[in-house]
Amino acid sequence: MGLVSVAGEKERIAYCLNGHLKLVDEFVLVAKRGTWSPGLWNKMEQRFANTLRMTVNEKKFIETALLSDLRVDGRSPFDYRRTLDLATTCREDGSSEVQLGQTHVMGLVTSQLVQPYRDRPNEGSLSIYTEFSPMADPSYEVGRPGESSVELGRIIDRGLRESRAVDMESLCVIAGKLVWAIRIDIHILDNGGYYRNRNLVDAANIAALAALSTFRRPECTLGGEDGQEVIIHQPEVREPLPLIIHHLPIAVTFGFFGEDNIVVIDPTHYEEAVMRGRMTATVNTSGDICAIQKAGGVGVMQSLIMQCLRIASVKAADITSKIKNSVESYDTERALRKIKRHSSSPALDVCEPCAKWETLEESVDQKGVHDLPGHHLERLKLTSEESGVCHINSSECGSQLSEQVRTNRKDGQARSFIGGPSSWDPYSKGVDSDALKASLASHGT
Amino acid sequence: MMEAKPSNLPKSFIDQPVVPGDVVLDLSSMANQTIKLGGGLRQDCDALSVMKSGKLRFLKPNKYWVESSQKRYAPSVGDNILGIMVDSKADNFLVDIKGPALAYLPVLAFEGGTRRNIPKFEVGTLLYVRVVKANTGMNPELSCTDATGKAAEYGPLKDGYMFESSTGLARMLLNSPTCPVLETLGKKLSFEIAVGLNGRVWVNAEDPSTVILVSNAIMNSESLSGLQQKIMVDKLLQRVQ
Repeated sequence: MGLVSVAGEKERIAYCLNGHLKLVDEFVLVAKRGTWSPGLWNKMEQRFANTLRMTVNEKKFIETALLSDLRVDGRSPFDYRRTLDLATTCREDGSSEVQLGQTHVMGLVTSQLVQPYRDRPNEGSLSIYTEFSPMADPSYEVGRPGESSVELGRIIDRGLRESRAVDMESLCVIAGKLVWAIRIDIHILDNGGYYRNRNLVDAANIAALAALSTFRRPECTLGGEDGQEVIIHQPEVREPLPLIIHHLPIAVTFGFFGEDNIVVIDPTHYEEAVMRGRMTATVNTSGDICAIQKAGGVGVMQSLIMQCLRIASVKAADITSKIKNSVESYDTERALRKIKRHSSSPALDVCEPCAKWETLEESVDQKGVHDLPGHHLERLKLTSEESGVCHINSSECGSQLSEQVRTNRKDGQARSFIGGPSSWDPYSKGVDSDALKASLASHGT
Repeated sequence: MMEAKPSNLPKSFIDQPVVPGDVVLDLSSMANQTIKLGGGLRQDCDALSVMKSGKLRFLKPNKYWVESSQKRYAPSVGDNILGIMVDSKADNFLVDIKGPALAYLPVLAFEGGTRRNIPKFEVGTLLYVRVVKANTGMNPELSCTDATGKAAEYGPLKDGYMFESSTGLARMLLNSPTCPVLETLGKKLSFEIAVGLNGRVWVNAEDPSTVILVSNAIMNSESLSGLQQKIMVDKLLQRVQ
């Protein structure tokens, strides 16, 4: 590849790469300096090779098939998706993973205390960041947000903000001084790969909503001498608070094809490349239209838009129930986790002190290890520490074990109790091997 | 790896899943033998180790290679693939083959190709081509003729629908005996199909609904066993008819 031809091809390169002007500049520079580095060409060719390519055949086929109401993935034009296709999972507070067809999106919500905007002194803020990783699709580039990623963020942002779906005033801590800033990160994990690729906007919107619904911010109160000091409570001390979400604005995307505006819902990646226009309607279950984004040059009849909106609100109800179900199942799971934790810790706090003294005395008497009182105290400390550790272990093993220990305690059998956690003392010489074994066995269950 | 017994390895590893680092063959025990290594294998002195995960294949008398399923295609000589025309230069067409780099298709690599009768392709034309050069550090080279210079079936594909699959699925479709999906579909429907080893499949039929049915059946069959494929296709056909 000669230098001259590259310099001559400047315009075409600029046209092909559609706005990647920086690279063209690099080329021009190289041409001026009269040096040629094959690395640059490779770099550009790489990018060139990574873009989505469609054949003439596909484009034509998608359009002709749509004329007879057929879609390439076997759906009918108004088929949103088969039931199995949408999977929402929440694993942690404020995070969600959505799988729509083969598109895989992760939503993550975090919060931070910041100074509010001047014009809104008593409202928190909400911001959306999108992350398109090259792992998801080779056409994405690192550190260069494309047009689609900006649009994606804007659509979701508008849906949430304009409809006031999240209560912002409840995020205020001190008016004009401190408010919670909510940040939603949307990571595209897989843009579908080779087939059955669903539109990202809908998937990302669902991910954002699911993450927001599971998010909890730490509770904070005002304290200190002047009542202006903010105390942020750890989640262990005070239960974190969920956001107040009034409704879920669901984005539903439509594609318009051909001369007579054939409408399809939820276009695939390939259909997106062929269609002339796109409209994303953000609606909620109560029938409100929160936002509409219309892209592409094609004009659409008013009646058609109304038809789309009606369809969208039906689909929104389906999707809302899906999101609510997954959030509910996450909440119950979370509540269960909490119950487990609490059931073991009061046992430690309440029953321990008296029992410990008793057993310590007993075990000391039994074994006849009468040492200095200092050693006695040290042992006491050790035992209490060890018992704490054991209790945590037992709560992990399951509640069965802790129950067993508790019943043993009620019987007042010294031996079985020695087998229990409180006599597990690696520093004492007098523990007999039987008791040790018993204690090990009880841990093993 | 350390406790692997080299003596009985060849039999045990063939057609088994292997992962990078597996030592599949010990050359010290087989003197005076020539073996040919395919993709995914590497020789470390007397040991043959695996470089990518997949299934180890063996072809009599002496060929070994690792077969895996990928989204990207690594070009290798002799493969029949489907490429998309991206650009045309004075001497070459640039063709996208799902590989690490664009491939060159010389304008003269057609049956009876001369300077006078250079074919014209629109950008986005789907081509059925053969890989003739695949060297590291060079763009792969393609050809639209078979080894004897005849056009055979190579060339542009018109109409129909092309979809992308993994390389593993493409290889499954090309297996002989014919894989159950194609066999079951072929009994009921008539359609044309071209499978590229680079994970592209082109389907054509008179009725668009047939094309859609066939392509979806093929896409669904990726992780199914032979019997499951048959059941799936039967169900699909029942629903349509």
